[in-house]
This record gives sequence, structure tokens and C-alpha cells, in this order.
Amino acid sequence: MLTWTGAALLLFFILCACGVVLSAATRGRCPMRVLVGFSVICSILMMLAAATALATGRSFEATLWNLEGLGSLKLRLDMLSAIFLFAAGLVYLPASLFVRNFVEARFRGRYPMRRYGVLHFALMASIVLILTANDAPLFLISWECMSILCYLLVNYEWGRQTDSRAGYIMLAMSEAGFLAVVVAFSIAGRGASDWSFPALGMAAAHLSNRAVWGIFLLGFLGFGVKAGLVPVNFWLPRCYTATPPIFVPVLAGITLNLGFYGILRLNADLVPSHGIGTGLFALVTGSITALVGILYATTDNDMKTMLAHSSIENTGIIVAGVGAFLVFRASGHGVAAAIALTAALYHMVNHSVYKTLLFEGVGDIEAATGTREMDRLGGLAHFLPALSVVFLVGCLSISAIPPFNGFVSEWLTLQSLLRSAVLLSPAGKILFALCGASLALTAALAVTCFVKVYAMSFLGIKRGEWKLRGHQKSTRPQFALTYLAIACFLLGILPTYVIPVLNRAVEPLVGTSATVSLVPPFFTATSENQQLPPAFLGDFHNIGAQTGREIFPGRGLVVLVRGSEQNPVIFAMSTSYGFIALAILLFVTWIVVTRSTRKRSVVRNELWAGGIPRLLPEMTYTATGFSNPVRVVFQAIFRPDIVEDTRKTVAVHFRTAILRRREETHLVDRLFFHPVGDAIGWFARLLAGMHHGRLNAYVAYTIGFLLVMLLLFRLS
Amino acid sequence: MSFWFWHGIRKGVQTTRYPRAPESAGGVTPGRPVTTEFHSAEEAALAASNCPANAIAADGNRARVDLRRCIHCQRCHFGEPHVLEWRSDYEWATAPTEKYEALPRSYRRSLHIIVVDAGDCGACLHEVKQLNNPFYNIHRLGMFFTATPRAADVLLVVGPVSENMRGPLLKTYEAMPDPKRVVAVGACAINGGVFGHTFMSAGGAASVLPVNLEIPGDPPPPLAVLDGLLVVAGRKPLILNESPVERNA
Amino acid sequence: MTATSSPVALFRRVELDRLAAAVQERFGASVSLSRGDGGVALSITLLEPRALPELCKFLFWDAGCSFGGLIVEERQGKWCLSYLFLAAGSGWIEILLQVLSSASSVPSTSSEIHAADWHEREAEDLFGLQFEGHPRLGDFILHDQIWPEGAAPHRRLQRKSMDAHQAHFRRRPNPDWRPLLVVRDPGAFAMPVGPVYEGGLGQSVHFLLETVGEDVVRAVPRLFYNFRAVEKIAEGEPVSRALLLAERFAATSSFAHSLAFSLAIERMSGAEVPVRAKHLRILLGELERLRHHAGAITGICESTALAVAASQAAIIEERLLRASCQFTGHRYLFGLNTPGGLRRDFTNESFAELLKSVDLATSELRVLEERLHFTSSFLDRLEDVGLVSPDQARDLNFMGPVGRASGRCHDLRLEYPYGGYEGYTFEVPREVEGDGYARLRVLFQEAYQSANVIHQAAERLQPGPVTAHCEAPSGGVALGWTEAPIGAALHWVRLDNAGLVERYRIITASFNNWHGFRVAVEDFAFQDFPIILATFGLSATECDR
Repeated sequence: MLTWTGAALLLFFILCACGVVLSAATRGRCPMRVLVGFSVICSILMMLAAATALATGRSFEATLWNLEGLGSLKLRLDMLSAIFLFAAGLVYLPASLFVRNFVEARFRGRYPMRRYGVLHFALMASIVLILTANDAPLFLISWECMSILCYLLVNYEWGRQTDSRAGYIMLAMSEAGFLAVVVAFSIAGRGASDWSFPALGMAAAHLSNRAVWGIFLLGFLGFGVKAGLVPVNFWLPRCYTATPPIFVPVLAGITLNLGFYGILRLNADLVPSHGIGTGLFALVTGSITALVGILYATTDNDMKTMLAHSSIENTGIIVAGVGAFLVFRASGHGVAAAIALTAALYHMVNHSVYKTLLFEGVGDIEAATGTREMDRLGGLAHFLPALSVVFLVGCLSISAIPPFNGFVSEWLTLQSLLRSAVLLSPAGKILFALCGASLALTAALAVTCFVKVYAMSFLGIKRGEWKLRGHQKSTRPQFALTYLAIACFLLGILPTYVIPVLNRAVEPLVGTSATVSLVPPFFTATSENQQLPPAFLGDFHNIGAQTGREIFPGRGLVVLVRGSEQNPVIFAMSTSYGFIALAILLFVTWIVVTRSTRKRSVVRNELWAGGIPRLLPEMTYTATGFSNPVRVVFQAIFRPDIVEDTRKTVAVHFRTAILRRREETHLVDRLFFHPVGDAIGWFARLLAGMHHGRLNAYVAYTIGFLLVMLLLFRLS
Repeated sequence: MSFWFWHGIRKGVQTTRYPRAPESAGGVTPGRPVTTEFHSAEEAALAASNCPANAIAADGNRARVDLRRCIHCQRCHFGEPHVLEWRSDYEWATAPTEKYEALPRSYRRSLHIIVVDAGDCGACLHEVKQLNNPFYNIHRLGMFFTATPRAADVLLVVGPVSENMRGPLLKTYEAMPDPKRVVAVGACAINGGVFGHTFMSAGGAASVLPVNLEIPGDPPPPLAVLDGLLVVAGRKPLILNESPVERNA
Repeated sequence: MTATSSPVALFRRVELDRLAAAVQERFGASVSLSRGDGGVALSITLLEPRALPELCKFLFWDAGCSFGGLIVEERQGKWCLSYLFLAAGSGWIEILLQVLSSASSVPSTSSEIHAADWHEREAEDLFGLQFEGHPRLGDFILHDQIWPEGAAPHRRLQRKSMDAHQAHFRRRPNPDWRPLLVVRDPGAFAMPVGPVYEGGLGQSVHFLLETVGEDVVRAVPRLFYNFRAVEKIAEGEPVSRALLLAERFAATSSFAHSLAFSLAIERMSGAEVPVRAKHLRILLGELERLRHHAGAITGICESTALAVAASQAAIIEERLLRASCQFTGHRYLFGLNTPGGLRRDFTNESFAELLKSVDLATSELRVLEERLHFTSSFLDRLEDVGLVSPDQARDLNFMGPVGRASGRCHDLRLEYPYGGYEGYTFEVPREVEGDGYARLRVLFQEAYQSANVIHQAAERLQPGPVTAHCEAPSGGVALGWTEAPIGAALHWVRLDNAGLVERYRIITASFNNWHGFRVAVEDFAFQDFPIILATFGLSATECDR
């Protein structure tokens, strides 16, 4: 008997197959609308499957087929997978719609649509398979398919590729990560009866500490490749920049999350660690990743590269939350662990939404003006007013400004780090303090970064020589972007409805309910039913925490963590009430201002610039100038090489030009990529020495190898 | 750093009591020539011919002074055979036309001023700057200098409006929101002073902007500028005799 | 702290005869030497224009003369150029060059003497004279965005002279004008400052600070917003009117400029100024210097927002202004100088009053200086900020207190005394650091020395007349020079046969120092720009005329 979930999944796979067939068979003459429609329906089905699973709280299981020697391939949609599936579906919808804008313009004739359609639907299917896989072989096969499909999509416009190396690097890193994950699963499966996830989970209890550490490191870094953790993320900025704009939203919003899914599944669910060491490792790695990511984002001028670095920053925040969760769980603090994991999952969902929004916005900007350089843009709010509004929502969300969604998750993450007071180990406390400070710095830099992005691109006057391309100039906002902006807003003002949903995944992993810890039942508690202490309830009812009880369903609108007798409230916030208060305040202000200035007239005049004849674009602040202080303060990290600093003179002391150019090598490149690349090159050169073409030597190699093998067999 | 606080307190209050009480300290004003009776018409004519700025006109036995033209060269004060009487006052504000309208009531105790140096020799600008020093301290009267014309109510023009400053001056005026007033400070701003009307000098602010108030002198002392600002703010009435060139003669 | 030096050690006296011999030997046939007139000691007539840069380089770098300026005249269909140099202790040297106007191109000396750069640009703008090898002519005094090319308003050859009092000729503002930007860095931009800035309480100057975000890489000044063509207005006017112009084109140094003009006329007519007038002139000149420096110190304190110190310095300045007014009848000392002496005399009681005010001002300045020395937040903004090295000061010919703070110690009162300074003893301060704090220290020391000289002058006064009869001759030419508060001021006057002014040239220290100002601003944070501007204490209107 098929449940709703099962039906949705089945229909999803059927539609994907249809999509593949349609794209391949009809030679690309299938109308775009049909394919986009299929894709939209597929994403809705993904959300439906996840929603029904979360609503009922029951996991969905199914067996695909049996393979000789490896066991059967099973599917299972449990709560954790459901959250990720929902997030994926949420983002796939606008990503599918977004495709429509670009396809006609860019692809017609040159790059056949059928290939894109095939890849797109195949990727969708593989992502869902990864999320619903219940045994290692299915998981690994789908993962590999996903990596290859991603590579094919990244390098889709092969003729246009200015940096095709980016795709190769991504593929190489994906494969390296995959290998690490395979090894991790092999270690985990040594004592297990078969390769299914439940069996692996049961066998994990008998693993030695060293094995657990090994699995953790391999899994963490292996999945970290996809997520974008330092030190394995050097492919990410290059790759995101080189990817065509129709695919980047998927890459940043969905495949990034698969890395987190892998980490959570392997290291938190299947093979939990015993001590706090692994958790601290994750926390520190996450903090460093966040800081490095935002530093490079703040000083970058290409919008796409900047957003890629910002993705790295958000990855760091999520992983820091995961690390905190692991630490708290291992040391037995259930409430703190629940808060940390909730924060991490919430941030993951939020990041998918606003990052997709921002990438799609950048794609629109690039299509409209032809450039992504912030130094060249400026004044776009005048040319693209609808886009400026939604882009502003995206910037506010990612800068963690209430009442948008980024605020809630970052606030929860920082609060969970502050809970380190309950830890016993001093090393743990110190690390938590340092990482918390580092994340706070990251948050501040993120605001700088996105103020720069919005102000330099949309505000001010036009700085470059571009012209607006006709078809983009419309004041009607696009559906995809508006949908994402509204999602940002709703996720921000309704955290108390999101947290119970996330709790479905958190509770099995932690053992404590996040809803109970975070969302006190101000709506349902009364002095009779004693769900909360009467004094506490009375205090909060005095300030109006129960407002809206008749209108809104649910437990309450305040996110709160309770403490001990002396300190009843550790932290509390309510973006819902905050938003209502803000709206009322703005409305009242608007009324007062319009009434009191009714008799005044507004005269518009040109900009005051000190009396000069005209304010030229070269006299306005550039993005480089805005972020220069950050570059100067963190110079030790950036270490720019001054490539050119010449002062050309025409005659003595008459300077005609001062030419300056700097180049930077990314920190991770300097510390990891280049040394690793050099090492591999060295090793390869060493091996190349064996390929000299002499047949006799080859025969000798073979005989020698055979002798060594025989000896080994003899000895063992 | 606490030294500066005590040092300032010890030095005491230096501020003038003006406009509550007239300021009588020495050296606050160079004074001005006033209409003088001579014994004969020839003497009056000689006295008038001494003036390089044509500020003195002989009218029978009297030598009449047009203060708006006076450049304070002091040739009618000493050194020449026929000198005029000089009076040590400083309330010289006058208007180019009979109609003068002060700013509305709300500006009385809150006036924002922007000064534009349009070719000034430096003396008028320096005198205007002295309004910020502890002796005159216009802040106590609710008057402030702003850096942007968007927040300014009064435009003080100093200098004969050199050609290169004509554009910036007009831009400044246009950038000010209504209601606004323009005050020409100094003989140069009123009629070009010693520079006059040339290919490089417009001969006064009136050729470029509508001027509401004029403060004669070369340069007018800070108290004269302060008097003018009080008139603009509406705290003092502007008394115009039949002929706008003479005051309390 | 301050290192004051006696004149003997500072100024290496340049022997004129030896110099003349060296020039004759080196340049031989291209030059013809003679005694100058009107205040010029040595006149070198250049017969071969090509040798001009070489000769200038010899005089400036090898012989150690300081550069005075360039005077361009149009006489009888020819261009007469006169390059002025000062041989310390001996007198003025001028290089005369006559060029036929048809071949209107002169070799440029600005690669040898950088300070000549702006003089040549001014000559090109106002006269249309082309200087070969000068890479940056145009858009100087006559701003390109409103003046068409080739206006040359000072010319009178073959064209009706542009009467200064005629209405202007048609001008078309150019809406596509763009400034010339130098820095080519992907993120560079040019921050505009002015001409209406600081609420207008600063004089009208326009800067484009080219920066990449933190440091100013290139500062391009655009001055001459206050240009009123004083030199042109004076043409055809009697001496008494030109005196008014000399007094009023830069009022904060009005006494020094009117004195220079009067000295030129006196030199031309050969009049002997009475002794009492000489001492009084010195007293009044130093009074002006003291008041000017108090104002500059106020400006520096204001720029660093040290409010109490700024107010106290403003009190000192206002008291000096009032003392000047009580003593002379005008706060800025207008109407005192006249060719032949002073226009009025003073009573003994007024001297006593004045000396009391000067002493009070000096003691207050000492207190202020000492307390500023101990205010570290103030010094942090001034020390090592706005550096001008001694080499740069020499290169760019900095004058006045700015030059003295960078080791370039030239003072006309000692190098080539005028108007009675020969008998006075005073010191000229000298610093070598060249930063803002050094300039501030120089201002304080000079103020004390001015007070010292005022006392000396008051002591030396004997009763006597204060004016002598001075009839301006027809057809004379003379140079008058004074050390104005900002630096050396040169007034060069030529009268025609009717005794009216034919050519009036004013060369001021501000013109020179503004040219070199940008080296102090470049490579410093642009938040320091207003402070560096205040420590230089330059006057835009003195430069613009």
C-alpha cells in the first residue's frame, strides 16, 4: 500500500524518466515549457514527499532490487532526509523556472537542449536517490553519478568556457572526496552483516576509537569537498565563477547541502563518536572556513566569486553548528545539542534559499548588463527596480538582519556556542569561546560585504560603459525571485513553526526535543494545565507573549531557552513580534510624517557635490575602495603580490600615469592546493621515470612484481 | 587631557553681551564715516574727491556718505586735509530694495548659514570666521555654519564673484531649499569693491543672485555680520530710511 | 625642539662678481651681462634662447640661488621674459629673454626648476605663450570647462586689449569636460573636495584626491577660483589705485603686499623714506605676522578638533585684531602704506597699549605651545604626517614657514634686507623634520621673534616725519620685495610715460607653495588631508590674485 510519500516519490521518478526521454528523443525541439513544467512538478513532488513524511512522522521504506553479493538496494526517507529533500525541492522550483530566461538567449543552436534536459533530470533523480538511500552501495553509486553529472553541467558550455580547468579541478576533488568516503564506509562496514545503513549503525557500537576517528576524518573531509570546507574547498570559487548562470543556483543551493547530509548521516547518525574530540575538530574547521570565506568575499569584486566565497562562509557556520552539536551530544548535554543541531539545519535551509536568490539575481544582472564587476556597475536600482527590491531582501537575509531568515539561524548558532558554559573540559570551553568570537567577527564582516555588494551595484551612479539589454527592463518582478524572497521572509518571521518541523530530525539524533527546549507553549499553556511554571508564565503574559493566541496556531511565537532558578531566561527572541512591532512603528511614522508635512512641497535638484560642474562616475566610491580597510587590516592573510606599480612620467616630475596592479593567491591555494599539486607532480615525475620505453625493463618490472607477491603470500 | 578643561574654565567667559547690550570694547569695529558738515561747498567737494571709491558725494556744505561703496581705505579718516567724522558703530545692515522680508518665525532661534568664498580677498571671510570664536560665538544665538547648502537657510556671499566661482555659487544657491536668503557681505559682494565689473569679476553678488540683505564695509567687522544675521533671522527689524544709503545720519 | 640659527650660518652668501664671472665663462657668447636697475643687481640678457634651461639650472642648482619667479611682458611687439633669482646676501639676478611674438615658443625650464612649472602655465593661459617641452599646459587659471581655448586675456598684441572693465566675452560651458586622472588601478577613484567645502569657511580650492581607498595616491589641485585679474585691472591706472589693489588682493597679508608695492615705487622715484617711517613699517609688518601666525595656529587646532586649544588660539588672534584696530584704525591694517612712507602717525600712549597687547599675546602663545606639546592625541595627528623632505623642499622651492620646517631657511629680511631690517637682530627658526608638528613649531617661534622685533622697533622710534614726497616717474621700472607672513612677496611695476601702470606683476609665496603642496598630501590617508592643509596655512586668494 503506497503512502502519500511513496506515491510522490514514485511519481517523481516516473516524471524524471519522462523528462530524460523527452529531452533525448525529441532532438531538442520539445518546447521549453513542457520540460520546465515537468521540472517544476518534480520539485513540487519532492516537497510533497518530504512534507508528508514530516507531517506523519513515519519514515518511508522500500526496496529497489537485489544485487548479487552486495545485498538489496533499499530506500528510506527518514526525518533527516525529509528535511534535506524539502530544502532541495524548495530551491529546485525557482531554479527550474530560472532556466527559462536563459535558455533561449544563450543556448539556441550552439548547445543542444536535449543534453541539458537529460542531465538536469538525471541530476534531480540522483540527488533524490542520495537522500533516500538506505545502504552504502546505492548511496555511493548515486553520489558518483551526481558528481559526474555536476561536472557535465558545469562544463556544459564547453565552447564558451573561459576556465574549463575549474570543472576539471572540481571533478578531481569530487573523486578524491568520493574515494575518502568509500574508505570510510569500508572501515565502518568491517564488522557489519551487510551494507545497509541500519546494519552499519548497529556495527558502529563495536568499533574502536581509532576506527571512529578514521571514519570521522575521512567522512568529514570527503563530504567536506562538496560542502566547501577548508582545506578542500579550493575548487569552489573557481568552479562557481566558471559555471553558467543557469546551473549555479542548483550547485550552490542543493549540491552544497549534500555535503552536510553526508556528514550528518555518516558521522552523526551511523557512526557517532564517543568523545568530544571530533566535535571540536568540526567546530574549529567550521570557524576557520567561515572566517576565510568571508574575508575573501569582502574583498572580491566579481559578484559570482564573492557569492562563492560567501557560500564557503555559510558552510563554515553550518559545520560549526554541527560541531557544537557533536560536542554537546558526546558530553551528555541534550538541550544544548538540540539547539545546536536545530541551528545548523535551520541555517542550511536558509542558506539554500537566500543563496539561490542571490545567484539568480546575479545571473539576471549579468544578462542585463553583461558585466559582473562591482566596480563597473552602479545605479542598477534605477534600471532594474524590481530586481533591486528582491536582491535587497537577499542581501538583508544573508547579513542576518531581522526580520529575515538569516538572523534566526545565525542567532541560534551563536547562542548555542554560548552554551559552552555547561561543558566540563577547559579545552572545550576555550575553543568554544575562540570559535564564537571568530563567528561573531564573520557575521560583522558579512554585513560589510553585503552592504558593499548592494550599494556598489544598485545604488549610486552608473560607473561602467554598459547598456541595458532590452528584454530585461521590466518593472514586474520575476516569479522565481519573488518566491524566494517571500520564502526568506516567512522563514524569518515564523521560526516557531519551522523549529518543530526541524525537530522531527533533531530528536532522533539527539534524544532531546528541540521544540520543548526552544519554543515554550505560550499559546497553549494556561495557569491550569501547568505546562510552564506559573510565575514564569505570568511574567511573560504581562509582556504579551500570548498575543495572537486566537489567531495563530502552534505553541507560541517566542524562541526561548530557559535556565535555572536564578537565571530563568537564558536567551529569548521573537522575530514575529518584532516584525509586527516594526510594521506598526513604520506605519505610524508614515502617517505622522505625511500628515505633518502635507503643506510642504518636494523640490528635486541635482546632487550636491561641492560646486563642481558635474559629479562624474570616477568620483564616486568603488567597491575596491570600500573594502580596502579590510584588505589592509588582514594583510597577513591576503599577502598580495604587487605585480605592477609603475609611475610613468613624461618629463621629470610630471607624472602621466600611475599604474598599479595586484594579484593575490588564495590562502587555501597557497597552503594546500599548490603544495599538494607540487607533491603530486613530483611523484608523477618520479613515476614517469619508469616509462622510458625499454621493453627489457618492463619485463623485469613484471617479474620483480611477481616475485614480491609470491613472497608476500608465502609469508602471510 | 583634563588640563584643557581647567584651562578653559580658568580663562573665563569672553563672550560679548551683544545683542543684549551694545559692545563697547576697543577695536571691535573700524568705524565708519558719517555725513559731515563742512564750512564751505569747496571743502565738501574736496573731501568728496578724496574718496577713491566714490562713496562721498558733495551736497552743498555737506559731504554725504554712501556706506555701501566705502572700502575703508581710511583716506577720509586721517592723512588727507579734509577728513570726515567717523563713528564707532557696527550695525550697518541694509537692503538693496525697500522690500525686505525676514525668514519665518521658526528660523528665529535656529538659523543655518553657508558661506561661499567667491573671489574674496580673505578679510571678509576671516571676519565671518571670527563669528565662531569665543568672543562672538554665534552658537549661543542658535546660528550654525553648515557644510552643505541642503541644510542652509542663509547664503553669505563674500567677494565680487569671480568668473570661475560664478558656477559654483549658482549651484550652491540652487541647492538650498526654500525659504532662503542671500546676504552680500562686504563692499566687494555689494558692488565689486576695488575690483569692479571686469571680465573676471561680476561686480557683486547682485549680478548673479537675488540679494536680500547687504552688509557694507571692507571688511565689515564680525559684529556687523552678526547684526546682519540677526536681521535675517527676524530678531531685529531692518530700519530703512528714505534713502537706503544712510543710517542714523 | 627648535634649532634657531644665526644668519651667518644659514645663508651662504653668494658673491655676485664671482657668479657673474662664472656665468660669462660658461655661457660665453649666449649671454650679455650688465648691471640691473630698479632693484635688480645683475641682469643677464640671453641672446640664445636655447641656453635658457641650462642657465637656469646653473643658477638654481650649482650657484645656489633661490628662484623668485617669471615675469612676462608684451612690449613693442615682442615678448619680454624675465626670470628672477635671488643671490643671498648680494641681490637679485634677472635673466632677460626677448622673443619675437611670431616665433612664440620658449624653451621650458620646468624640468630643471620645478617651481617654474606654474609660472609657465600661467604665462600660457594669460598670454598664449607656448613653452616647448612643458607637458601640461592649459586648464590652469582659465578653467577649461568654461573658458574656450586661446583666450589669453592679458595679451594686447595685434588685438584690442581686453579692457579689464569691459564686460566679458562669450564663454560656453563645456558639459563634457573631464578632469585628467592619473592613477590607473582597477578600483581607483578620485574624491572631489571643494570648491565649496568646509561650509565655505575654507577658501575656494578644488582637489581631486585619487585614491584606492586608504591612501591618497595623487592629489591634483585646481586653484584660481578666486582669480580676479588684479594684474590686468591695474594696467592703465594711477599708482594710488594700484596701491589699493596691492593692499586688497590678499587681505591677511595686506600690509606686506602694500609695503612691497610702495618700496617698488619708492625705488623707482628714488625717494628716501624717513627713519621713523621705516621703523614703524617694520613694527606694523611684524604685528601682521604675529596676528597671521596666531590665525594659522588656530586653524591647525581646529583641523584636529582640539576645541579648547582652538578657542584659546582664536582668543589670542581676536585680541591682536582688536589691538591692531585700536592702534591703526583698521583690523587688517588697511590704508597705512603709501609710496614715501606711512599715511599717519601714532601717539606714544597707543604704543604702550599695543606693546601690552603684544606681550599678553606672546605669553598666552607660550602657554598654549607648552600644553600642546603635552597633548599626545593632538601630536599624533601632526607628527610624521604631511612630510616634506629637505630635498623636496629644495626641489619645489618652498618658502616661508613651510620651507623653514623642512630645512629650507630663506628669509628676505635677512638674505637681502629691505626697508630697514639691516639693523635688527632676530632669529629665524629652522626645523628639518618637515612634518605638521615641525611647521607648527616654526609658527610659534616666528611669532615670538615677531614680538621681539616689535619691541626693538618701538625702542628705536625717534620723533620725525612719517612720509616723504614721492613722485612716481614716468617710464620707470622697479622691483619691491618683502617677507610676507606666508613667504616672499615680489611686486614688479613698470610705469608708462604718463605715470600710469603699464605692467604690474605680483609673485607670492602662496603661488609657489601651492604648487608643491601635493607632495605633502600624497601617500597619506585622506582623512589627514584637512590637517595637512591647515598646517600649510596657505592662502588661495593670495595665490589666485
